[in-house]
Amino acid sequence: MAMTYETRVAWQNRMLLVPALVLLAGFILIPAGAAIYISFTNEALSGFAAAHPQLVGLKNYVRLFSDDGFWNSLVVTAFFVFGSSIVGQFVLGLASAMALRRPIAFRPVFNAAILLPNAVPEVVAGFIWISMLAGGKYSTVSRIVGLVGIPPQNWLGSLPLLMIIVVNTWRGIAFAMILMTSGLSAVPTEVYEAARMDGATPRQIFWRITLPLLRPTIFLYMLVSTAGTIAIFGLIYTLTRGGPGGATEIIGIYIYNQSFTAYQLGYGSAVAVIMLGVSVAIGVIYVRVLKVQV
Amino acid sequence: MKSTVLRAGLGLAIMVAAISGAVVSSCTSAQTIRVAEHRQARIDALNRSIPSIEKQLGITIEVVEYPAPEKDYMSKLLTELGAGNAPDLFTANFDSDVADLVSAGYLAPITAEVKAWDGYAQLFDVAKKLSTRANGEIYALDSMLGVEQIYFRRDLLDKAGISTAQPTSWKDLLDRAREIKKKTGKYGLLLPAGISWGGGAFNEGFALFVPGSKTPQIANDDGTLNLNGEGVRDILGLYRSLIDEDLMPIEPLLGPEPWVIPKYTMFPAGDLMATTCGTWCYIYDWGKDSKNPVPDVTRNVGTWAVPGMTGGSSVMVSGRNIWAVNAKSAHLALAKKVLLALSSVDATVAYAQLLGNIPARKDAADNKDFQALTELVPVLKNVENGTFLKSAPGFSVVSEGVARATEALLRKQTNAAGAQAILVKYVKDLLGDKVVK
Repeated sequence: MAMTYETRVAWQNRMLLVPALVLLAGFILIPAGAAIYISFTNEALSGFAAAHPQLVGLKNYVRLFSDDGFWNSLVVTAFFVFGSSIVGQFVLGLASAMALRRPIAFRPVFNAAILLPNAVPEVVAGFIWISMLAGGKYSTVSRIVGLVGIPPQNWLGSLPLLMIIVVNTWRGIAFAMILMTSGLSAVPTEVYEAARMDGATPRQIFWRITLPLLRPTIFLYMLVSTAGTIAIFGLIYTLTRGGPGGATEIIGIYIYNQSFTAYQLGYGSAVAVIMLGVSVAIGVIYVRVLKVQV
Repeated sequence: MKSTVLRAGLGLAIMVAAISGAVVSSCTSAQTIRVAEHRQARIDALNRSIPSIEKQLGITIEVVEYPAPEKDYMSKLLTELGAGNAPDLFTANFDSDVADLVSAGYLAPITAEVKAWDGYAQLFDVAKKLSTRANGEIYALDSMLGVEQIYFRRDLLDKAGISTAQPTSWKDLLDRAREIKKKTGKYGLLLPAGISWGGGAFNEGFALFVPGSKTPQIANDDGTLNLNGEGVRDILGLYRSLIDEDLMPIEPLLGPEPWVIPKYTMFPAGDLMATTCGTWCYIYDWGKDSKNPVPDVTRNVGTWAVPGMTGGSSVMVSGRNIWAVNAKSAHLALAKKVLLALSSVDATVAYAQLLGNIPARKDAADNKDFQALTELVPVLKNVENGTFLKSAPGFSVVSEGVARATEALLRKQTNAAGAQAILVKYVKDLLGDKVVK
């Protein structure tokens, strides 16, 4: 029996999805499934378990919930995401976007200056900041703050979490700014004109017009930025490797340390599975909120 | 029809080309041995030996450069060994790694080849023992040895009027560190510790004190591990005292690359007066070609054997440059020949020159290049008097457990008994309850 035109088109459309599905399955779904399976085993990179991994049921998960290191990494991750992504990058990105919409001198130069950190590879950025922060009295930051009488210190040792928040904020402002700029462009100028004619102050315009109309963009940014910040690895690994004493051991570093430093792939996978669940939950919450707003 | 024939012909041509390519490639690679190495000094040492080995065996050796930090090197290597695509030949960092590499099935046995090799008779007995597993098989050859003890700033202690005599017990060692702190305000003794130091926290610190403790060996012949003993707690207690009394630097040990500041900066500057280390410190860390050399290093930096808890002393000997052959190598026989060639006098002296470890062969003493290494020559004759720890499957877990236990001490989160509990729990979690005695 010959297919109708509609059926044929429907099949063709489905076939167009096949390459994407194959890639999705090959690089995301199957590895994720494998990670879930490995999380129920004692698979290791070395030792007897490397050659003969065995199913251990929920043992890795039970161990995880009594592991202070895991809870510490969750707390560190929460502070890091909140500090660098939600507060630092968002606030400065929005401020930059609003400032650079105005007709100011050297606007392209400011634009480029904000975009530049994003063009630097993660590891290179890490090494640049090590030279700025490490080395006690020899570090660039110590020399600068020394001009106003602040004693030199090992910034990555004394204020490690704050420092990685600062570095990640520096690196991520550009992304926030681009997204906020696009959001601001979508706000009709007539709305601002009407508000000004009604006598609204700049502060009222910001809180009552700009921010509410930007809300979908802000939530989209929060979704992408939160997921991206949770998954950050290279920058922090280069800067502190999770130290000192676990003070900057965000979850990605913790998973790496368990899997590739302690060689416990099964346990590392269990942590990764939990984190996958957390990320999905955050994503779902954001998407729900987004739907309501849009 | 014509196009079908053309397509079939084209397909056949592609297949033939692919097969001949594979054959040619396999013929070419049959003569190429891939060797993993890391850290520039080691790569340079390896490269010195390669031309003569290539000429001698009529092969090509490709050096695959790995990340420099020991942990990163091991992680990458293990990942590739697990995936089955690791180089033919590689080094293990420590003896404690080898037992687990064997358990994982990554290493090819080399017993017959090593025993038939003319260099075998020249190996120090301690190197033979370190290289041989409990079942009598050899899977990795300790071509170099690290001779580890306590290195101290003789010049600065003399100047401060502090005794440089061999400490007779742990208490004596602690008292010396206290005296250093009191008279100079400097740190008295560094023991590698913490998670960032990786395997060194065990191999270059904790392990040195095991022979002189009430638990002189960790591994038992039945595969169990002595971790609950008083000796282990006493060693952790020694760490605790050094940390609590501010006798050793803590902050640098909690950061990345924790050895850099204490060993490469504080010790040469005289801010740290004593540290555990191996012969490599005389060459690589503080030698005349190092970044921060100590002038006239062998005179100004003295050595103490590691005192026992209540008396006696020991010098720890451990494997360095432990060559092993990948069990999945496509060129097993050839890789084993290269392994033996890399354990020749010339090859080991090249490593000694650049890294400061001791060749595991007695006949290296007659080599004129080695004789020029005046920092190392006196140590060679003491190699046989050294003690060593027996390793066993699970030692990489013990090593990580010690790193975690000492990290908790560094962070002042627990006492010696608590640190021991952390070690025991970690090992039991990963290896099972029965493994810990």
